Amino acid sequence: MSDASGPAPSMRSPVEGYTVKVPGFEGPLDLLVTLAHQGKIDLAQVPLAELTAEFLEKTKRSMDLNEATEALWMLAVLVEMKAKLLLPKPPAPEPLPETGGSDLVEKLEDQLGEYRAFKEAADALKALEEFQRRVFVRTPQAEPAELLLEGLSVDDLFKAFQTVLARVRKERAAEVADEPVRVADRKAAILDALRGAPGGVEFSALFPPRVTAVFVVVTFLALLDLIKDRAIRVQQASPLAPIFVMLAG
Amino acid sequence: MSHEPPVVEPVESPEDAAIVRLAAEIESLLFVADRPIPLERLAEATTATVPAARDALEHLRRRLAGGGLLLQAVAGGYQLATRPEHADLVRRFLQREHGESLSKGALETLAIIAYRQPATRGDIEAIRGTKSDWHIERLLERQLIREVGRRQTVGRPILFGTTELFLRYFGLNDLSELPAMGERGVQALLDVTRPE
Repeated sequence: MSDASGPAPSMRSPVEGYTVKVPGFEGPLDLLVTLAHQGKIDLAQVPLAELTAEFLEKTKRSMDLNEATEALWMLAVLVEMKAKLLLPKPPAPEPLPETGGSDLVEKLEDQLGEYRAFKEAADALKALEEFQRRVFVRTPQAEPAELLLEGLSVDDLFKAFQTVLARVRKERAAEVADEPVRVADRKAAILDALRGAPGGVEFSALFPPRVTAVFVVVTFLALLDLIKDRAIRVQQASPLAPIFVMLAG
Repeated sequence: MSHEPPVVEPVESPEDAAIVRLAAEIESLLFVADRPIPLERLAEATTATVPAARDALEHLRRRLAGGGLLLQAVAGGYQLATRPEHADLVRRFLQREHGESLSKGALETLAIIAYRQPATRGDIEAIRGTKSDWHIERLLERQLIREVGRRQTVGRPILFGTTELFLRYFGLNDLSELPAMGERGVQALLDVTRPE
């Protein structure tokens, strides 16, 4: 009998994540954030506009939802840090007399050492996770409950959203929203609409004509939030059929 | 022709026979259980003493060697699980997707919460040097961490701790089984989790 155990499953580097290349740095975005925070990279020299443009370009081509959302969050952190860097600073407070320079260096080194220790602990947890993910028990454990998506994936939903967004951009409605659109309001509006339609509402009908792109994005976020809360279910009878949204339960 | 693994010692004394029987009973219970069952609960269900149940579990663990199942001590209880060597086979059979594994940032955030618990956002930020809100939200969503209270300082920040699901997710029996910090701990762990 030949060796029954197959090759190890190919893993898409989950540890590396989203990588970037800018002058003076090439590697995981996560590391760039850390280095910038530690002052080892001068954010003033990092073209964030290029990074965000590249991100948009990459997510247009293909996208891993988990990786993309994490990268988006890290880019936002970088933008916030750079904005703080560029804004004029308030006058520095009087240095505390008891904090000498060497103390500060020591404190920084302590902090870095501590971080390194936790990075190793994270690696240890990773090894445990990988082992435990390869054993199965009677009922699925350690997995979030299923979302109420029937006949389609989150990716399919996202593609439908992109279609609506493209439609809205073509309509060229008012470019600037008169009033702010809030996720909470859109959630309430969607629930209202669904309460009046026991058979469900077609996905595209949630986005009336001549609305702004912001309205579409916020409405989609509200929809995702409701799906996450399992307040609504989404169905698609066949791959090309219209997508329907209805109240859960 | 015998498929019995050689590690099982021949049964002779009546005490041994009782352990073998008890191990079989416990095996049946673990087979139908949908969560890890504590030792005391197994003893109670089989009307055995706790030490006898412990011996029976040890017998069961050795008897399972060479089979398709593992006996795991997880989250304060025992469970039967398929062997890691069969992971791809079982996954294909169940048509189950590879679930999302935790990202590096999420694992770091979780490590700080696990070892320092209870910990606040500020505690985590001070160590990681970056904001970790995004990771904290994801970890809450996956129910690997939960709010355990508030620190009685300015702003009363939320304190986070790990959940029972955290123990199950990482196959830990309790928090004392968290790998020791530092390289030695990691190496010891890699030795343990390497397939037999």
